[in-house]
Amino acid sequence: MEFVSSHLISLTVFLPAVFAVLLLFCPSKTEEQQSLIKGLALGFSIVVFLVSLMLYTGFDAAATGFQFVEKRNWIPTFGISYTVGIDGISLLLIVLTTFLTPIVILGSWNAVEDKLKPFLFLILFLETGMLGAFVALDIFLFYTFWEAMLIPMYLLIGVWGGKERIYASMKFFVFTLAGSLIMLVAIFYLMGAHKAQFGNYSASLEDLYKVKIAFDGFYSPQTLLFLAFALAFAIKVPMFPLHTWLPDAHVQAPTAGSVILAGVLLKLGGYGFIRFAFPLFPQALHLLAPAFLILAVIAIVYGAWVAMVQPDIKKLVAYSSVSHMGFVVLGLFSLNSISVTGSIYQMLNHGISTGGLFLIVGMLYERRHTREISEFGGITKIMPMFAILFMIVTLSSIALPGTNGFVGEFLILLGAFQNNKWIAALAGTGVIFGAIYMLWMFQRVMFGPVKNEANKGLKDLSFREMIVMAPIIVAIFVMGIFPNIFLSKIDVSVKAFLNQTRI
Amino acid sequence: MDQLINPQNLEITNQQLAILVPYLVMLIGGMAALLTGVFIKGPTKNLATCGVSLITVFAAIYSVTAIWGEPSVYLFNNMMIGDYFSSLFNIVLLVVAAIVLLGSHSYLEKQDIHHSEYYSLVIFSTLGMMLLASSLDLITLFISLEIMSIAVYVLVGFRRTDIKSNEAAIKYFILGSVASAIMLFGVALFYGATATMNISQLANLMKSPESSAILFANPLFALGSILLLVGFLFKVATVPFHMWMPDVYEGAPTSITNFMTTGLKAAAFAAFLRVFIAMGLSTKIDTAFSVGFHNVLWIIAVLTMFIGNVIALTQTNIKRMLAYSSIAHSGYILVGFIVGGKSEYGYSSVVMYLMAYVIMNLGAFTIVSLLSDKGDRNSELIDLSGLGFKHPLLGFAMTVFMFSMAGVPPTVGFAGKYLIFSSAVEAGEIPLAIAAVLCSAMSAYYYLRVIVYMYMKDPIKEVRVPFNLAVSAVIIITTLGTLSFGLAPSVLIHAAKKAVNL
Repeated sequence: MEFVSSHLISLTVFLPAVFAVLLLFCPSKTEEQQSLIKGLALGFSIVVFLVSLMLYTGFDAAATGFQFVEKRNWIPTFGISYTVGIDGISLLLIVLTTFLTPIVILGSWNAVEDKLKPFLFLILFLETGMLGAFVALDIFLFYTFWEAMLIPMYLLIGVWGGKERIYASMKFFVFTLAGSLIMLVAIFYLMGAHKAQFGNYSASLEDLYKVKIAFDGFYSPQTLLFLAFALAFAIKVPMFPLHTWLPDAHVQAPTAGSVILAGVLLKLGGYGFIRFAFPLFPQALHLLAPAFLILAVIAIVYGAWVAMVQPDIKKLVAYSSVSHMGFVVLGLFSLNSISVTGSIYQMLNHGISTGGLFLIVGMLYERRHTREISEFGGITKIMPMFAILFMIVTLSSIALPGTNGFVGEFLILLGAFQNNKWIAALAGTGVIFGAIYMLWMFQRVMFGPVKNEANKGLKDLSFREMIVMAPIIVAIFVMGIFPNIFLSKIDVSVKAFLNQTRI
Repeated sequence: MDQLINPQNLEITNQQLAILVPYLVMLIGGMAALLTGVFIKGPTKNLATCGVSLITVFAAIYSVTAIWGEPSVYLFNNMMIGDYFSSLFNIVLLVVAAIVLLGSHSYLEKQDIHHSEYYSLVIFSTLGMMLLASSLDLITLFISLEIMSIAVYVLVGFRRTDIKSNEAAIKYFILGSVASAIMLFGVALFYGATATMNISQLANLMKSPESSAILFANPLFALGSILLLVGFLFKVATVPFHMWMPDVYEGAPTSITNFMTTGLKAAAFAAFLRVFIAMGLSTKIDTAFSVGFHNVLWIIAVLTMFIGNVIALTQTNIKRMLAYSSIAHSGYILVGFIVGGKSEYGYSSVVMYLMAYVIMNLGAFTIVSLLSDKGDRNSELIDLSGLGFKHPLLGFAMTVFMFSMAGVPPTVGFAGKYLIFSSAVEAGEIPLAIAAVLCSAMSAYYYLRVIVYMYMKDPIKEVRVPFNLAVSAVIIITTLGTLSFGLAPSVLIHAAKKAVNL
């Protein structure tokens, strides 16, 4: 027990990978064995969720600094160590990750029949990558997880995706890799600067926060470094105009891939800004913040407009992600405690509600093998249970008060308003457009007469599908009605973060 | 150091003899392999020769480890040296030879080109490479280069009835000879300018500001070093001296392509590195000559990375694709040369990257040679379709090698790139580092295409993958090496650092 409590983070991070490897040794020839494997994977992911809850309960919300820190030398020549630890921000994102993984596995229970074992292996492996990136306190370790995570996601899209999956997965990989390699150069510069100032290499985040990087306007090292980091994170978020990989990836990815991509991977972009780009280069941040605010507003409005005209439900949800993540960026760059808290909360919300939407779309697709809005209509009459759940998730995505989405967007807009009225006002229109495209889509899919013969025989949700959606529905309301459960965990961390970003 | 050859310098002490053992083992073993082929007749002939050559290589590896870590020893009137650098490269080269030999037997059998001479040629060529890595004199360097090359010329044309192989051998022979001639001319001019052939004396000359100033002003020296540079760049195939390479790599038997991309390249880079460090050009940045030299290398490095990767993007044959990617890898290594003297791990990054490249490339080429049918069919990308799920372990190994070549952590390829790019940034060559990472991002596209075919396309035809214990062992070892040195690169980094401390 002593060992467990002192290595809780490592345990959470590496358990999925260990389970993934164990899974490889299970036979998967017959149907029964296949269900057994699915059950095992589900059980494993629930165990990981429970372990992460130990982190959650053990976390001291009042304490400053990182908790559960573990430190081991890794490549001492370059001051690279295995250092992990969490603050409130990473804690919530970890729980989000471990929460979504079992849902994803259960959600794709019948969707994946071909090559089941590698599929589950990659999902669990991906979980390790994502968790690792959230807990790494060594920039090299972070980079390793950040890149290693790409591989399973790439394969998930490429092997189990739709028709254009190869194009989409390639685009996803090359976009992200290009961004991260530029960041890698910046990391080298940073480590070199540490050596120049302190006499030794170090990749530990704590040490790197102390490095002073020259700053005098736009063409100075600090600004360029900030841009290099921001490029990698902005591609991941994704920010306008670097978002073009996202619709392709989402539409082609299998449901599980889409949920994880929207639910967790995009958050890594926001998390990267919080943990690395902002505190490392505060002066550059203040210089460039206006530009990023404008890009965020463009993403909010443009994402909403483009979402409105999509004929494909999944693509619509994908573009809505661009818009929603625009809010996250807006909140972060507004740089006050309300907006930043809102941003972090919005990241969780987006993970829950967009994840939910992708699951819903996946359920429709499994029944009809199409996602064209025009193919549907009047589904409410045929699938009443589905209609209720779809409505709740839609409303959460629109940010109706009482649901989780409202809290996040409200806080972000409130904070942004204190920072700049006009930006906040423009972003506010995004909420309205959001309501328009979501409700219009909902109306066309769910209401009206049943025109299409093919829709008449659709079955309502199965018990399994309801179990899949249940945690999401619960989370939507709990997070909407009792936000303080979660907000109290990040208070201290947000304050510390804002202190770091002050010049 | 005595310049004159006196009888005392020709005597060999026990210490020197110990250094010589690996080379002698290889020499005797090569001859023994040749004789085995003559005396043993019948079906066991090739197997016996293969066995003799493998025993030779392992004996040589053992004898290198026996002198591991000993202080440097000069040999034959300072024409050769046994130091950490040469020991490290000897190990690398011998491992390459061992792995190539292990994979060769089944491959040659399949290709119907099994002749026992193959093995002794590989051994002699490896001997040339080892000598190349331990030459301390431009003449020894040239002779070892020729020992290595002549054996390889023959090996390239080993598929005698195949026109592609013949073309490759002739092309390589003619162009290689021209390059050797150019290099030799460079050596002659060099001698005219410096009055020495010895690399350590050259280093001494370059260290003192007065004598280096005189040399830099001497056009003979400038011309000599440029010609020498051309010779080396030809051997390691950088742009614009790369034209021979894809044809030769495609035409040669795959096991020999494997041998050339790893062993030959490592040896040529080792000799180049020794001369380059001695000249100390990347540390002196104040003279017109070294600035010019730096700029030339800079342009060559960027062009090499760029052109190698761009052409690799369009290839559909795996061997050709890996050949062009090998050009790009030479480009990354040149980045290490450029920043060498200006950052702490500059030169070590070259050695480190060579080791990383050797490990992953050996694995990838072994898989290609395992798959290729008679006449090297089945080496198109499309032949890989669906392979990943049909042969999960093979697919996994190839995936690891491809991601490693693309430089994705946690693989040894990433560790190598890490060292090179971080040295470049530390040396202030940030545009070069950015060019390098962008080229590296571009390369991900074609490496991933291998994975696309393996996992994302349905099988088109039946590709038979014969089981072979030796080949499987090679693939497992290289895969584990790629992953474990990627997770814990410290061992390699320390070795590389110690090696370049000349």
